[in-house]
Amino acid sequence: MSEDHQLRSDGGTAPATGEDATSANGTEKATSRVPGLGGDEGRIIGLTALAVLLFPFLFAEAPVISDIIQGYAGLTTLILIWGIFAMGYDLLHGFTGLLSFGHAAFWGAGGIAAGLLVEYAGMNLPLVLVVVGTVVGVLLAWLIGFLSLRRGGIYFAILTLAFGQMIYFTIFGPLGPITGGEDGLLLTIGDLFGVIPLNAGVPVLTPLGFIPSWLYLIVGIFVVISVAVAYRVLNSPYGLIFKAIRENEQRAEFVGLNVWRYKLMAFILSGAFAGFAGALHTIYNGAASASAFYWIVSGDVVIMSILGGVGTLFGAFLGAGVYLYMSNILETFVGTLWHVMLGLLFVIVVWLFPGGIWGGIRALRDLLTDLIGGGGSEPEAATDGGEPGARAPADAGSDGGENR
Amino acid sequence: MSLLETEGLVKRFGGVTATDHVDVSIEPDERVSLIGPNGAGKSTFINLVTRRLDPTEGDIRFKGESIVQKEPHEVVQAGVSKSFQQASIFPDLSVLDNARIAALGADHGAFGFNFLKRLDSYPEIDRIARTTLQDVGLWGQRDTTASDLPYGDKRRLEIGIALAAEPDLLLMDEPTAGMSPEETKATVDLIEEVKQERSLTYLLVEHDMEIVFDISDRIIVLNRGSVIAEGTPEEIREDEDVQDAYLGGVEA
Repeated sequence: MSEDHQLRSDGGTAPATGEDATSANGTEKATSRVPGLGGDEGRIIGLTALAVLLFPFLFAEAPVISDIIQGYAGLTTLILIWGIFAMGYDLLHGFTGLLSFGHAAFWGAGGIAAGLLVEYAGMNLPLVLVVVGTVVGVLLAWLIGFLSLRRGGIYFAILTLAFGQMIYFTIFGPLGPITGGEDGLLLTIGDLFGVIPLNAGVPVLTPLGFIPSWLYLIVGIFVVISVAVAYRVLNSPYGLIFKAIRENEQRAEFVGLNVWRYKLMAFILSGAFAGFAGALHTIYNGAASASAFYWIVSGDVVIMSILGGVGTLFGAFLGAGVYLYMSNILETFVGTLWHVMLGLLFVIVVWLFPGGIWGGIRALRDLLTDLIGGGGSEPEAATDGGEPGARAPADAGSDGGENR
Repeated sequence: MSLLETEGLVKRFGGVTATDHVDVSIEPDERVSLIGPNGAGKSTFINLVTRRLDPTEGDIRFKGESIVQKEPHEVVQAGVSKSFQQASIFPDLSVLDNARIAALGADHGAFGFNFLKRLDSYPEIDRIARTTLQDVGLWGQRDTTASDLPYGDKRRLEIGIALAAEPDLLLMDEPTAGMSPEETKATVDLIEEVKQERSLTYLLVEHDMEIVFDISDRIIVLNRGSVIAEGTPEEIREDEDVQDAYLGGVEA
């Protein structure tokens, strides 16, 4: 840090006299908030790991809380898997401003690739399946992104939807004999490293109520890694360039950036997360089927992403959690009425909290620190104020004036 | 060698010829203004040079090399930068981030695979962003969200973004449009200052006659897509065709 600082205060052309000290300070402060998400990577990774560790306990084991919410341990793994999917999607939609309606394709492709590998190649080591799922997600996203990103806005959304459905019908119909069609593939997933059964409990942690199974532990570790990677991407030049494209695509092109290739990279990165999560989903289910490609799945991830908070990264996990809680647990009490309740919740969140649930929580916390802390909350505000909430990606293309 | 040269440049929109066989050349270090009544084809000309529009005929050469096959970002990378008619900025980002984005375009080229490398490991980006903001006098407001700036400052930021690319040629499309007289004055001073500091060549499209006569070495007058006059401010002031087409009785 101090080295950076040195470079910066020496590097510029002569700074305005008298302003030297303050401006150097300013740079330092500003640098620490580059991410716009607050804090450094170590803290984020630590907090994510802590959340992953405590989540099953709070959700399914803790007295009172878990009695009220009626959570069960199996669902926690599923929530994390969908959370990874939704977080990758947020990179594309929330940060780059590209609304895709075809992300089921990558989730499905990662899942079916893992399934085919188990079924036909006899390769059932979980870690290998996950790597293959990610690679397949990347390759397919490359292809579909290459074709869809030729157009912007609603046309892009429609193209992704169309390609997604084309792939769905291909997997379901012509490739049905291989992919299992309607029935899918029922799989026997191998043990972790070939020795540890995924459903077995973890010594010490499971009896204490923290980690329900090895599967959860592995998925949890993947969540921490995914968050670290996504967070790093947002702190890299890409993070800023993605936001630039979201805010004003034309201007980004006119500062000399190859907008098209950066958009393709955003698409591929989100496809990688989707394929990765899709393979995990196959491992979780012990099955893979064409239904993962269905367009409703693309809609689900959009809803999760918006519920949790567009452009908030971590909100994805909240969105996935709320959605899956309603569709799995609430459903046992109210039946199909949960769809209506989800719709209501969606409308309320979009109305009241444009930043989604994550944005709402943050607003609430800021309000509380303001009420309690007064002037003392200054440093907190400085590290957290970077990202101006989440926002609907504006149609920034109209910003530059003359018609084309 | 001319910095920018157009040869027989034509742009037709359906039956309308917006640019009609325009031959223009701009020498290094020159301050050129492009004027003309509404619909004379000024913006079209700028858009052809920046490659937002495809020419129907003709050639555009920058530093002797044809740029008609290039993408807009390639033209910027080659050294032609543009400031827009409306303040075209990144509204929800801080002023500093606006400058950083421009610095990224200037320093990292059009594309890179550095998505796992932290932005703060590139001190050069912050240096360019800072110099740029100091040059346009917005360093003090670097933490302000860009959309919260007053209009004049937005335009200054816009010019700063265009300057961060360290262009050889800066195209300015009515940089003072919509500004108050004070803001206009400040912007003109800014342009002059930057011109001195960076030995910039620029092409200015402007409505305000006073500004044009004040800060141009040479003026090109367009009317209905064609160049009708070209010369020093004094020559243009005297030119009868120009007075007829554009100035009307104003100069009488």
